[in-house]
Amino acid sequence: MKAFIFLIVTVAAANVCLAQDFNKAMATAKTAYSAGKLEDTHFALQQAMQEVDLTIGKEVLKLLPPKLGAMQSTAKDDNVSSNVGFIGATIHRSYTQAQQSADISIIDNSPLIAMTNALLNTPMLGMMSHGKDKVVKVQGYKARLEKEVGSTGDKNNYELQIPLGSALFTFKVTDCTDSQILELADAIPLQQIAKLIE
Amino acid sequence: MKRTLYLSFFFIGVMFVHTASAQSLLKKLKNKVSDAVNNNVDKKTDNSSTTSSSGKPVNKGGGGLSNTPPPDVKAQMADAESAHAAKKYSDSRYALQQALMGVEIQLGNQILKSLPTTSDGLDADLTKDVVMSTQWGWSNLNIQRVWKNKGDKQLTMTVGNAGLYAGLAAMYFTNATMVETNNNKQNFKQIKVKGNKAIIQYEDSTGYTLIVSLGQSSMIVWECINFANEQEVMNTANSFDIDGIKKMLGEK
Repeated sequence: MKAFIFLIVTVAAANVCLAQDFNKAMATAKTAYSAGKLEDTHFALQQAMQEVDLTIGKEVLKLLPPKLGAMQSTAKDDNVSSNVGFIGATIHRSYTQAQQSADISIIDNSPLIAMTNALLNTPMLGMMSHGKDKVVKVQGYKARLEKEVGSTGDKNNYELQIPLGSALFTFKVTDCTDSQILELADAIPLQQIAKLIE
Repeated sequence: MKRTLYLSFFFIGVMFVHTASAQSLLKKLKNKVSDAVNNNVDKKTDNSSTTSSSGKPVNKGGGGLSNTPPPDVKAQMADAESAHAAKKYSDSRYALQQALMGVEIQLGNQILKSLPTTSDGLDADLTKDVVMSTQWGWSNLNIQRVWKNKGDKQLTMTVGNAGLYAGLAAMYFTNATMVETNNNKQNFKQIKVKGNKAIIQYEDSTGYTLIVSLGQSSMIVWECINFANEQEVMNTANSFDIDGIKKMLGEK
């Protein structure tokens, strides 16, 4: 219980800090713009945008379930980073249970998005993968499911790539079957995430 | 023996005649086909036709798109703040992007204003002035002005993060040996323009291209068509206020 309260207080404090940073960056931008300092305005607006990206990332993390199947999320691995430039925010969460682990990463404006979309919409390209990947649907979204090269036995490592607008959602699970990873993916609120990062 | 020889000559002769006639026939056929194709192409590219070969109507003109004013920075900043306060983060991000675009366009216009209207005896063609910003973060900011005379001499200056040249420039700025290996006829070399690292290139088909690196991510590109020599290009580049542009872009 104490740990739970501590977590809530920490998250709330982090949000207040982020909001303060956003307001500070916006105040700087407005002052610089009024003074005709365009380059300074530009830099301050970029800072504000980074703060927004971080806030969006934190909100997405809140939407992700704390448990996936039997796997528990590893709080220390939760990560949101914002990049100035072409790529937007990168959001990461991992889950573990004994030998099995899962990993979620969402990269906004991912450079891989065009390639993934091309693979999803060009069946001929899929045929060249020697049966190691296939196109599936998760909650109505087209996705690319790939079996990790070199894994053997009934249980393999799988990777699911789902384009959500300009962001790429990647979900990796070790030691599972293709139907298990799809079941686990169904527990992730993709539509809500897509709405937040659009 | 003689008979065999005569027979052989006869057959060889027949073969030559046959090959020659076959070739002439082939040539005639080729000409016929190419004539037919050319006639067809001519007919298809005839502007007077109102439909294309697929039956789709040919567009004969329209009003084009109306010129939208750049985003209002102050209004977009206010939108970003109110959306953020209402926890509509996606909307806040969009407003910030618009504000950034507005700032970039204003900055581009400011830089264009600072450029001379004549350079090396060439007059600026202000109708070709371009300030383009499609996204935030400099990477898509391009400012361009063209100077030309009544003849065929032209100077095009592009300021910003010229993606087309960025990779090429970085490769040569960081690897001097790549230039030195080309000993026969040097058409690419590293130089300095007003203390800034630069590369100059010459191609018969395109003329001189001078790329000056500005600080961390910006650069200026001069494309000089029908310039007499390297010195003329350098004199032209040196006549520009590079430090002023650098300052406006916030580069050190």
